[in-house]
Amino acid sequence: MPEKAAKKRSKRVNYVPLFLMMLPGVAYMIVNNYLPMFGITIAFKNLDYTKGILRSDWVGFKNFEFLFRTNDFAIMMRNTLLYNIVFIFGGLLASLAIAVMMTEIGQWKVAKVIQPIICFPNMVSIIIVAYLVYGFFGGDGWINNTLLHGNGISWYSEPKYWPFILTMVHFWKGAGYGSIIYIATMSGIDKGLYEAARLDGASKWQQITKITIPIIRPMIILMTLMAVGRIFNSDFGLFLQVPMDSGALYSVTQTIDTYVYRALMKLNDVSMSSAASVFQAIAGFVLVLASNLMVRKLDPDSSLF
Amino acid sequence: MKKMNSEKRFKILCLILLSLFAVFCIAPFILMISASVTDENALYTYGYRFIPSKVSGAAYKFMWAKRETIGRAYLVTIGITAVGTVINVIITSMFAYPLSRKDFKPRNIFAFFIFFTMLFNGGMTASYIIWTQTFHIKNTLWALLLPNYLMSGMNVLLVRNYYMGSIPVDILEAARIDGATEMRIYWQVMLPLSKPVIITVALFSGMAYWNDWMNAMYYISNQKLVNINAYLNNLQNNIKLLTMQSSMTEGINLKGLQLPTIGARMAIAVIAVLPILIVFPFVQAQLIKGVVIGGVKG
Repeated sequence: MPEKAAKKRSKRVNYVPLFLMMLPGVAYMIVNNYLPMFGITIAFKNLDYTKGILRSDWVGFKNFEFLFRTNDFAIMMRNTLLYNIVFIFGGLLASLAIAVMMTEIGQWKVAKVIQPIICFPNMVSIIIVAYLVYGFFGGDGWINNTLLHGNGISWYSEPKYWPFILTMVHFWKGAGYGSIIYIATMSGIDKGLYEAARLDGASKWQQITKITIPIIRPMIILMTLMAVGRIFNSDFGLFLQVPMDSGALYSVTQTIDTYVYRALMKLNDVSMSSAASVFQAIAGFVLVLASNLMVRKLDPDSSLF
Repeated sequence: MKKMNSEKRFKILCLILLSLFAVFCIAPFILMISASVTDENALYTYGYRFIPSKVSGAAYKFMWAKRETIGRAYLVTIGITAVGTVINVIITSMFAYPLSRKDFKPRNIFAFFIFFTMLFNGGMTASYIIWTQTFHIKNTLWALLLPNYLMSGMNVLLVRNYYMGSIPVDILEAARIDGATEMRIYWQVMLPLSKPVIITVALFSGMAYWNDWMNAMYYISNQKLVNINAYLNNLQNNIKLLTMQSSMTEGINLKGLQLPTIGARMAIAVIAVLPILIVFPFVQAQLIKGVVIGGVKG
């Protein structure tokens, strides 16, 4: 009987302390995440600081109409999407290649040294990265002085080089870090499979394409779909700080995030900034939902919902 | 025998390629350190070199002379990182506890409350207006602490999953029968038993605060309140502005205005990276583990 009584007592949970424990987190989420969601209304208003957010006049979709007609919008959309496509698929290839090679040398001690080194660039802030890039591409940087012997190029005012520079910086920073998840997945593959394939005379390339890739395919699909869900978001620091916010490079460095920042902080144009930022939030939401629906179809355990 | 050789050859090829990539990854840092100890005139004549053409400690001397401003930025960074990380870990792990309790009926509502923030956000502009117009955090230290980094939905779910997957329900049951309060169970049972995931959350949070420059860029204009990354960012912007306005050569201009030289700027960058460089070897294994646990859901 006492056992039953104990069970009964444990079932009658007092919710009050549990609610109290969640209170700080709930308060923070409301302030940091939910209030800005209502702040979306700013994009449909003509914000007047003296009247406040709630009393500013509604203007409907005017801000968006204006934004979509600007040349800026076409440029930032093109840049955001193109860079992301290159980053997603190039990044996948780079991370997979690194993961395959790391797995290959996994039993050697040197792997324990290489892995932290190739992950390290992801640990420093993009401000530091911008300084590092400047050391190479700056007016008297290493490239101009040592490689080109003084017949330097003024890199920071030549847009045509930046798609390559930014892509390179992105992979320098993220490829090693991005491979971690694939290395972990590959370490779970049964070694016997490779043993058997070797006995059958399979080449290394065949082992990779016929064993490794098919086995980790769910993870590849999952990671790629997640990245696609974030395709309207760009690495703000990469596009703002690494080109040193150089005006001459805007045509190839302007993304939605840098536009939102510049319109808000540099041009004081709250309507354009909020229109771009709300566009990004809503388009991103739709894509995250869509990509998760696809993940759920392919691999229900990995989907977010 | 021949097969073994080709196996071995492939492994060596992999090692060579990875070593090259590793060199590619650290070369920029070596260039930065080298530039910070190179004589300023040599820097202007020969540019950046991997091996300093003429060693000089002038950049670090300059930094020592400016120790008040740089030191303050450093203190702000350390303080905000410490306070932010502690608060983050506490409110995250505390939030996750009720969510992990199967007998807490409203848990699904709260899980959705958390989860929705991972799907949708109001965008940067709305955040900025709310933080500045409603909470007036502009030019206060709150601006470095509160926006974006104090708690993330992903971490809450990460910790909850760990609680549910790795801590036996029997232990909780036993603690409750012994009459322990919920707070006590969380503090004395859940926290100590979930060390790996707590350390992971702390590492991610600490890195986010240490490397932050965005909050400072949006909310701080008072130079006394900037952190080290924002300090470096402002330095770069000021120098760019001055060189743009001036038709003089960079060298004379900078020296005339007592602005830090390239070497000094690199020295400050070295100082900003140094703590990460020192801590990283000790935490990298845990960090990599954390990426694996969180990677899928992140």
